[in-house]
Amino acid sequence: MEKQQQSNTYRGDILVIDDTPANLRLLVNLLSRKGYKVRALPSGRIALAGIHAAIPDLILLDIMMPDMDGYEVCKQLKSDEKTREVPVIFISALHEVLDKVKAFSIGAVDYVTKPFNAQEVIARVETHLENKFLQERLQLKNRELSQTLEELKTAQEHIIKSEKMAALGQLVASIAHEINTPLAAIQASSGNSTIALDEFFSVLPKLLKRFSQAEQQKLFLEFLQRAIQKSNSASPRDKRQFKRNLTTLLKSEGIEAARRIADTLVDINIYDDIEPFLELFKDPDVEWLLQIAYNLSRLQTNNQTIIQAVERASKVVFALKRYARYDQTGEKQFVQVSEGLETVLELYHNQLKQGITVIRSHQPVPAIEGYPDELNQVWTNLIHNAIQAMDNQGTLNLSIFQQDHHVVVEVGDTGYGIPPEIQDKIFEPFFTTKAVGEGSGLGLDIVKKIIDKHQGKIKVHSQPQQTLFQVWLPITEAQLS
Amino acid sequence: MSSKAILCVDDEVIVLDSLKEQLKRRFGNQYLYETAECVEEAWEIIEELQAEGIEILTIISDWLMPGVKGDDFLIQVHQKFPDILTVMLTGQADERAIIRAKEKANLYCCLYKPWNEEELVQIISSALK
Repeated sequence: MEKQQQSNTYRGDILVIDDTPANLRLLVNLLSRKGYKVRALPSGRIALAGIHAAIPDLILLDIMMPDMDGYEVCKQLKSDEKTREVPVIFISALHEVLDKVKAFSIGAVDYVTKPFNAQEVIARVETHLENKFLQERLQLKNRELSQTLEELKTAQEHIIKSEKMAALGQLVASIAHEINTPLAAIQASSGNSTIALDEFFSVLPKLLKRFSQAEQQKLFLEFLQRAIQKSNSASPRDKRQFKRNLTTLLKSEGIEAARRIADTLVDINIYDDIEPFLELFKDPDVEWLLQIAYNLSRLQTNNQTIIQAVERASKVVFALKRYARYDQTGEKQFVQVSEGLETVLELYHNQLKQGITVIRSHQPVPAIEGYPDELNQVWTNLIHNAIQAMDNQGTLNLSIFQQDHHVVVEVGDTGYGIPPEIQDKIFEPFFTTKAVGEGSGLGLDIVKKIIDKHQGKIKVHSQPQQTLFQVWLPITEAQLS
Repeated sequence: MSSKAILCVDDEVIVLDSLKEQLKRRFGNQYLYETAECVEEAWEIIEELQAEGIEILTIISDWLMPGVKGDDFLIQVHQKFPDILTVMLTGQADERAIIRAKEKANLYCCLYKPWNEEELVQIISSALK
């Protein structure tokens, strides 16, 4: 670069090595007149000793010299990393036998013969200097390019990481909902349980004195047993039907508050077979008695709700932790692809349940060697695209199976499909069919790069209502055996 | 018998169930309480209650549900039954939906999950005054 910038004045630094002073003088004069910077030395040994102090751009080297001949000097120059690239032109007297084959094989670029033809010498020097400078520029460009490539690779790693977190960012609202729902249930249920327990204890003394007949007491205890026996498993729709049936039955027995009693019965998971307890429901204190059963039963139900809710919230948090994990070691690990797929599905649970049926057909497959967090990104992208392609309505088909020494993961959707004319382009960087702000266009490019890194392949088959992405990941020999 | 009802709509049974319990404990026999897992089911209940001559005082609806969303549902309810007070319950800040519901469904209030029981009770009490 420096030399190029000075090209107006700087034409090249030439070292002439010849034991004949007349030749040296002649060449120095000839080349100096042409504007070259010329140094002259009478022996190869001296030249080699001092060459590192200032490496010339070109060397003119006599062959026949007393203490070390030109061939030897040339060999040494070529074996030294610092001087290897300096072009060497041999000087040979016409009467000498020039071993051209030897000259070229040890690395000379050319030769000139004595007596010198000035124009020829200049022409050859110029040509080789030009070559040398071109080569230097090329090397510089190469270095710049490989540096740029390195920078690009680093940038790409950053992009992959930030895409991963961006995907998570888009999910945050949905995940917040996923966590807030169980939190709401926990908060409400624990509050309800506290009230239930307080109420129960406040009525306990009265309850103990309430039943004068052993029969009555037995019946009530049986009823309480029923109230805490079953778990809360019926759907609201089924409960409504049970409530209707119970209301009809109670009404037919002439019970006035039929609907309210039925409502409470359903709340305590008693849906049918109430005939043995009809006597209780006719008791003037029926509401008070039912409230006792309600409080006890709800304690149980609320506990179940809390356990369910905690499990739900923990699952989401666990999936988040697994998704956001970044493997610092950068080493491959044994991965069960289904685990990553389930992690991603858990994070998308809230979006999927809005109208997408997920069908899994997973066969047992061996673990593959890979980068779990990067594979998570592959599943995230494919599932995210599938959801968008279906506009949140349709079927997401997921399969895992083994074929030809590969674990194959299929992500299928029933969305609009990818038009044939763009199927080749979808893996290109920045290609997107989404509106500005909806997708970076890097998703499938990153997917492809991650799969390449796993020596795998990705295929797509698409037609309207049927798009299938297939990810093939190789199974190592060790895993196969 | 009470002939006024409160309807709760949420696709999460655990939420629906605990919400109903809170209301029932606080308001007891003053009202009937009905629950629906989705908008379609909610409409069935509305029709049934209508047929029985039971007045629906308020509907508390989740926003994010499969199929019809809470804001759309409450807007439809408001168009058909302008007297029903609409309350939205949400686990996710969806401001646009809330604004829409305020404008078009005369949304009385929006509760955020996890909601505070006192807040719920206050809102329902003041709504039903």
